[in-house]
Amino acid sequence: EAAAVPVLLPSAGCWIPSPAPQDILYRSGLYRKLRAGKSRATLDFARQLGHFFVDHPEDAFGSLGRLLHKNFYLGNSKLKRPARNSTIRMTALVEDIDRVEARRGCPRQHLASRLRWFSHLCRDWLFEVPLGLLADCLHEELMLQWSNLLFDDSLTGGALAWLPPGDGGTHVGRLVHPGGQAMNHLYFQDVVLEELPRTRGSPAQFELSGRIRQVAAARVDGEDFVGVRSDYHCGVWRVPGRMGAAPTPLQVICTDMRASCLTVSPHLPGELSICTQSGTVYLWNVETGLQQLRHDPQTMYFRDHSPWRWSDFTAHPRVLSCADRTGLQCLDSRAPKKCHFDLFKVGEEAGCQQGERVVLPMYLGRAHPSQYLVTTQFSVYVLDERLPLVPILKWAHMMKAPPLFAHLMPGDPGRSHKVLLGASRTQELLLLQYQGGSQSACQLVGTPQKLHSISGCLQHLPTQLPHRHHLLQQRLTAAAAGLAATLQQDGPRESMLVFQLSEAGDVFCQRLTHEAAQPPAPSSRDEATTAPGSSPLFEAPASSPQGLGTAALRYRRWLRALSRACREPPQHSWPPSLSQRRLFTRKELEGPAGPSALQKQMRQRLRQAMQEGGRIQHWEPLALQPPPLPQTLEPAGGPDPLSARLTAAWAGDWEQWWEERTSFSVAQRQRALRERRRRQKRARGRRSLSASFTSSLTYQSELSELSDTGPQLLSPGRP
Amino acid sequence: SSHEHKLNFKKSKELCLSYIQDAMLQKQWKRAAEFLTCYVESLEKDYSREHVGPSEMIWRIGTEILCHHSHSSMKEFSCFMEQMKTLGVKRYLKVCLEHVFHLLCNGQIDEAYQNLSLAESWRFGEQTALQDKEMKLIQAYRGLLDYYSWSKQKNILLEHSEDGFTDLAVEQEMHGYFRKAAVNLKEIIKIPGVWDLFVKCYVDLLEFYGDHNEARQVLNEYAYNSKFPANPNAHVYLYQFLKRQGESKKSLISALKILHDIVPSHELMIDFNTMLQKSKKRKKRRLGLEVIFAALDYAGWKENAKAWSCLARQVKQIVISEKHLDWIKQEWNSRKDWWPAFHFSRYLAKRNWQENKSLSYEKALVAGILLGKDCKYFKHVSHQGCKAQLKRFRMLRKFVKRHNPVYLRISG
Repeated sequence: EAAAVPVLLPSAGCWIPSPAPQDILYRSGLYRKLRAGKSRATLDFARQLGHFFVDHPEDAFGSLGRLLHKNFYLGNSKLKRPARNSTIRMTALVEDIDRVEARRGCPRQHLASRLRWFSHLCRDWLFEVPLGLLADCLHEELMLQWSNLLFDDSLTGGALAWLPPGDGGTHVGRLVHPGGQAMNHLYFQDVVLEELPRTRGSPAQFELSGRIRQVAAARVDGEDFVGVRSDYHCGVWRVPGRMGAAPTPLQVICTDMRASCLTVSPHLPGELSICTQSGTVYLWNVETGLQQLRHDPQTMYFRDHSPWRWSDFTAHPRVLSCADRTGLQCLDSRAPKKCHFDLFKVGEEAGCQQGERVVLPMYLGRAHPSQYLVTTQFSVYVLDERLPLVPILKWAHMMKAPPLFAHLMPGDPGRSHKVLLGASRTQELLLLQYQGGSQSACQLVGTPQKLHSISGCLQHLPTQLPHRHHLLQQRLTAAAAGLAATLQQDGPRESMLVFQLSEAGDVFCQRLTHEAAQPPAPSSRDEATTAPGSSPLFEAPASSPQGLGTAALRYRRWLRALSRACREPPQHSWPPSLSQRRLFTRKELEGPAGPSALQKQMRQRLRQAMQEGGRIQHWEPLALQPPPLPQTLEPAGGPDPLSARLTAAWAGDWEQWWEERTSFSVAQRQRALRERRRRQKRARGRRSLSASFTSSLTYQSELSELSDTGPQLLSPGRP
Repeated sequence: SSHEHKLNFKKSKELCLSYIQDAMLQKQWKRAAEFLTCYVESLEKDYSREHVGPSEMIWRIGTEILCHHSHSSMKEFSCFMEQMKTLGVKRYLKVCLEHVFHLLCNGQIDEAYQNLSLAESWRFGEQTALQDKEMKLIQAYRGLLDYYSWSKQKNILLEHSEDGFTDLAVEQEMHGYFRKAAVNLKEIIKIPGVWDLFVKCYVDLLEFYGDHNEARQVLNEYAYNSKFPANPNAHVYLYQFLKRQGESKKSLISALKILHDIVPSHELMIDFNTMLQKSKKRKKRRLGLEVIFAALDYAGWKENAKAWSCLARQVKQIVISEKHLDWIKQEWNSRKDWWPAFHFSRYLAKRNWQENKSLSYEKALVAGILLGKDCKYFKHVSHQGCKAQLKRFRMLRKFVKRHNPVYLRISG
């Protein structure tokens, strides 16, 4: 068995998981029952607003809270006369709120009038931010979070880059990845390629002012240029080719709209392209600045609501491709208005399905100067700029989530090109190989292959305590955030190293070793396939016991570092801002005096059962046992209804029998009901007022029972 | 309830499918086959309106598994295909084509031909547009196989004629194949699309029988009909045909001009440039310069020594004659802001010198004229060349130094 192995140790500080559906969706038993069969999700707006008030009291009520805190009394005792004129007792309100909380799920939530009165009175002035405005903002944010949960395209392209060793042919490359609690630190980490890649030295580190969404890199003239995109900032670093040279930040730009794409030119040093969500495409040169190539908030070929845009370079250094969800176009940056042609259109030419949309375009220049990769949620296309609109290769990838990441490893002449596709939410990784395009037709080589995901290693880790297991599971199943890979040749042995980054900042890697295909296989006439040999950890121990040990050690160290990082106590950074004389009454703080009689009895029975080695039949004490199931009601005397009915039917007067029976049972039930009502009326006089509510409820349910007919009606418990 | 049951059924169907997919992506063909036998049950209640229904799934997955499973044989494969043909009538022709491809890949050409003929005679209900197109495709592939037999007979005949006798029976047979192939191939290339292979075969047939007009018409139609995708190969075929026919330079140039407009980075642009450079007309030589500059814009041409020598030759000519320096100036104007970094960086000078001396020579000449004698690329290469005591590079240095004023005129 094989699995991915951690490359980096988890960073210090606990990881904050991104929201899961259950965090923002409304869930309650009643609600589920009401909406059974309907699939629309409902956002739990009220709970989030409540969270905001509790978590950020200073922002929600700061100034008025300070002004009014003398007028709010949190104690339990009665207020004295002079104070009563200017102070309200909050304890009662809190009790009311608790009661409302307890009645959650009740279809008729009768709010206590006091609460309603209070909220009516102070809704307009108590809040620091006007409630309507706050609610709008919160709602917008919730919608955004929800759509991100469904499909988060801000991660497109991936935030992991591998800078291969320079021309010197050493085994030390660099991994560029985000880290830190908010994923706003950029790291350049030296990595030695051994059996298992290992880090060397401490990384060069840069703190950025936003969460890093994308890291893109390209090598021009022996130097690496690394572009980094966060929501409103894009930056570029230069990493000199020689060993140990420090990366230098070159330039940062700030955008008004969210940037959705950043790609680095493989042709010219210090040139990048940027797209923003408003539909603007820029060519960014570190020396000459920004050049706007296009500004069009509309999509290109048909209307699509997504503001996502992408652009990449093409075989001509002055021609850029621009993409939205509907297709790709190429623009000449020297005359962007005049010179453009369509490269890919979602539609008939490419044989697209209904609802198919572009997810990630990528220039495949390192494989063939005029080839282009386009992925959609259903298929992968390879295009040639010289014959636009007609894909030269199409394959349905059947991935569960759309592939947001792609990585190309060009093959030497005569060998296949390898393309890795990665999905975010499901962590899927797929390896395709294709060849051709110039002399021969483009075709897939061998069968596509699934690689191990980060979450796959969970089953190989030692058994954990349940809560630890849960934390570990949460960590390992975090959405993938990037993908990088490199080919490595060690004498005759060829292998491929695949790195995967998760949203938690973990980088895992796996190794695939090359195996020459067996010649007699007739259908796959390909020269080579790569088989998942993966990390030697789980290979047969005889083959490399040394590697096995190091990988197991790697896991152990990673686990230890993780548990250390997560053990830090959570820090509350804000002091309580309301003064209060007393929050709990003495009675509430008082613990239970001792085991009650019932508890004592249970303990004794438990002990006895253990001594006897038997089992306890009834956990409830005898007194609380439910009454035995009542007999189903039968019409007085006579045989059972079925045989009566059959007899009647045999005799031919079935209809009359039915008439009789229904009138009998209705009459009987009406009589019973009248009887009960009379009893209740008598009882009401004695009971308190509050009980009338419950009794009226039973009355109603009785009525509703009557309105139905059928055998189910014979419910137990009727007189 | 029945609704729930249906949901569960659907769910388990999906689950089964994902297991199959998982097994296939990990090359566990045996496991995939076992799951597939379970998945067959999903045919029973096929209410799906998805893009790809279960029966199509079974066909696709089954084919893939049988292609890779260690215990499968051709016989089993054919058996499975026959079953699949009856499973979905709408898919009959598609399954046939797939089967034929598999047979062809395994060298069973006669069986493939039989299958195609069978498929051609198949009728079901009213023909839809899609079926019509698929039928055309089947016929076209049969035509292709006929062409294959024809060319085999032709080769036999050519061998025999070398020996000095003609075999009438073989010749008759060959003509028969020609007629069958021509009819079918002609049909498919009428439909807008990319039919490179079919067009090539059809033109070959026509040319053999001397029907050059028809061949020319077919190629013109294929290249210039606006309903067809803009296919650079169409123009390449036309150009090659015209060349074979010994057509005039003018028509060759006009064919390549269109190719240049569609794909400035095409390999034929070197031929185009040499043809234009030799021309006596000024306009054509001007176009030649444009063509070679445009080709070198592309990343794929960066290290093409032939292209660089074409450019170097033309630039040298212009500089020596001191006429039309404005041509160079115009071409250079739109490139001077990025060519130095793209082609003439110090890094490239070092690498080109190490990897390909003659490439670096040609590039250094162009760089020296376009960017002057102080340009990094020229300096590095000429320095290295003189150090290595290569005569060529010493001449280059002298040439560039003598013509340095030209640089000032171009850049000015």
